[in-house]
Amino acid sequence: MGQIFPMDFDTSVKLNLYETLARTGQALTAMDVADALAAPLGDVLAAFERLHQKRLLVPEPGDPARIRMAPPFSGVETPHRVRVKDRSYYANCIWDALGIPAALHEDALVETSDMHTGEVIRLRVEGEAPLPEPCAIHFAVPAALWWQDIAYT
Amino acid sequence: MLLFRSEETLEGWCRARNLPRRPTINLEQLWHLAVTWYGNRLTVESRRPAPDEMVAIFSAIGLEGPFWDPKSDQWKSNS
Repeated sequence: MGQIFPMDFDTSVKLNLYETLARTGQALTAMDVADALAAPLGDVLAAFERLHQKRLLVPEPGDPARIRMAPPFSGVETPHRVRVKDRSYYANCIWDALGIPAALHEDALVETSDMHTGEVIRLRVEGEAPLPEPCAIHFAVPAALWWQDIAYT
Repeated sequence: MLLFRSEETLEGWCRARNLPRRPTINLEQLWHLAVTWYGNRLTVESRRPAPDEMVAIFSAIGLEGPFWDPKSDQWKSNS
């Protein structure tokens, strides 16, 4: 019989955050995670910071206890809404909008818009691939600078 | 990264902001990136790709050069 090794604390925090986002579309606060894991708040805040360094989450500017991004999920409303079954999520950008059905392995409807004209654009993901839709995806920022201002990127 | 209905609306966006036109990808390429980046995001072992892995991921869909290299110094001097 194999031995079961417990997860390290940062992984527990990460999974608690991501599983809750996947289930509810809502980002937890550090207090929520501390309650869920029966852990000290300071330990959770330190884990948030380490996960930020690993670029697995972005805290709210000025409030390290709240989550702005847990890519591909957004902790706040954005112009990129993703519908999966009866749930709605917000994504940080169009890459992340497709990242949500990729992470959930579910069909999805992405509702967003042309950045110049405001025309509504709907992208459907069915059977783990997007249906064809005329569009162009523009990268305004080189990869080396993405995390200088990830909210802008 | 930003979504446009067409190359024409993208050009209009660049002109309106006096910003340079930068690389574009299509929906198929974007889906490849989404799956590669996030396909295992809800698992214990998930992590962001390391810089060298990112270069390989971009190269696999034809995106090459300093623009797609997270370790490139070329852009930092222009920022």
